[in-house]
Amino acid sequence: MELRQLQQDFYQAIFEADTSQALSQQYLNLSENFTVYRNSILGILTRTLESIYPVCYRLVGDKFFTATARVYIDRYPSVSPDLGTYGHAFAEFLSQFEPAAQLPYLPDLARLEWHWHCVFHGEITNTLDYQALGKIPQEQWGEIIFDLPQNSILLSSIYPIHRIWQVNQPDYQTDELVNLDEGGSHIFLWRDNYDMRMDLPTPAEWQLLQAFQTKNQLEIICENLATVEPCIDVAALLPRFVQRGWIVDFSI
Amino acid sequence: MIQGVGIGLRSCHYQEILNTQPNIPWFEVLSDNYMHSQGQHLDYLDKIRQYYPVTLHGVGMSLGSTDPLNRDYLNSLKRLADWLEPAYISDHLAWISINGNYLNELMPLPYTEETLKHLVQRIQQVQEILGQRILIENPATYLTFKHSTLSEWEFICELLEQADCYLLLDVNNIYVSAINCQFNPLDYLNTLPANRVKQIHLAGYEEYPNYLLDTHGHRVHQPVWQLYKKALNYFGAVPTLIEWDTDIPELDILRAEARIAEELQQSMVWN
Repeated sequence: MELRQLQQDFYQAIFEADTSQALSQQYLNLSENFTVYRNSILGILTRTLESIYPVCYRLVGDKFFTATARVYIDRYPSVSPDLGTYGHAFAEFLSQFEPAAQLPYLPDLARLEWHWHCVFHGEITNTLDYQALGKIPQEQWGEIIFDLPQNSILLSSIYPIHRIWQVNQPDYQTDELVNLDEGGSHIFLWRDNYDMRMDLPTPAEWQLLQAFQTKNQLEIICENLATVEPCIDVAALLPRFVQRGWIVDFSI
Repeated sequence: MIQGVGIGLRSCHYQEILNTQPNIPWFEVLSDNYMHSQGQHLDYLDKIRQYYPVTLHGVGMSLGSTDPLNRDYLNSLKRLADWLEPAYISDHLAWISINGNYLNELMPLPYTEETLKHLVQRIQQVQEILGQRILIENPATYLTFKHSTLSEWEFICELLEQADCYLLLDVNNIYVSAINCQFNPLDYLNTLPANRVKQIHLAGYEEYPNYLLDTHGHRVHQPVWQLYKKALNYFGAVPTLIEWDTDIPELDILRAEARIAEELQQSMVWN
């Protein structure tokens, strides 16, 4: 099919400039305007990455980001009409992108921004049915399986990425510097109705959040935690989780 | 049914629209911005649609692609359309994907019998899935293909007839393409069947040394207003939309552009 061959050649010439001359000779009038299409496509994909990774963009600057995006675009073609899915592998890409090696926290920061983007556009969270929970007889409490918001993510990094993210927000007022030695991050990212939440759980809370992700019954979770972290007081943590909106559903 | 001059719905205007409920006859909703997200955009859209009729306009159908139709995309669009009940659903005379890879930009097509046959079949399939006729928008073009055997307007006339679909006539695109590809825009308008023209788009372009670029980032230029008057002569007071996608200004600027179009429509009625 000639149309199919043309589209394949056109696509190739967009990303491989040295093939555009052959395309022009075979198919095109006004071939000098072929670059209008190339520039537009590269511009759209680069701006998509900028919009999903604004802190990475701000940290490395326009020139570096655009050059980085160009390499990413070459390696990771868009595979969906939905541009919101483009850039999913940017953090992984950055972790192996030699020119960015001087900013070792950048891949983790990109991971945070990607998940922020996904949670922001994800499904709205349920609200916990307190009354139904209150009706569960005490002898069955151990059988309860608690659910974190479906649209949430637990992220950890050896770098203080939450602080780097925070001081690079457009509305952040001071020129504060973040010391990379101040410690890592444990972040619980979720959405309360339409409000994005970036909570920083304590070590004990982090353990329990991770345990809830296993979807085990409360009794099993308590047993497992008792063997690895005997000092965790699940009975004290649970009401806090409920109050904060970290638990949105349960089953038995 | 929609009539008069609508405005493209953009997120920066949601709150003002809900707060002031401006006298705008309808909004065009960019379907791709709502099909894949469960965020607050949908909530705003739900509120706005209670006060205003809407149309759905997209860029993701890839009608001209030789890949299989993206059924997931079309099913999502159908779900959105079933919920929103738009007056029209539209997309472009273009392709955006090949071998499963997407360019996410509207790519030009050669105007040949092969392309025509391919598009007719695809549009018919899409109309079957969506359960309604769709509107096809004429593209802004920057080059032409040596092996095209039809002009763009001849191609579109055949397409509208054979696929039994409608036209979203982008007057700015006709002007941009006419300058870039050196044809007389009146030849274009002269040929189109009035009964198939269901909506008009107006937007601003940018001037470069060797071409005009369809950026949707400016007020409508004078030559495009002139061409719009001609279009109104040919096709009557077709529902018209002010499109603005880059450097989006305050709603008042868009409404001022819409008023110019409304006045031109009204002057046509009285003449």
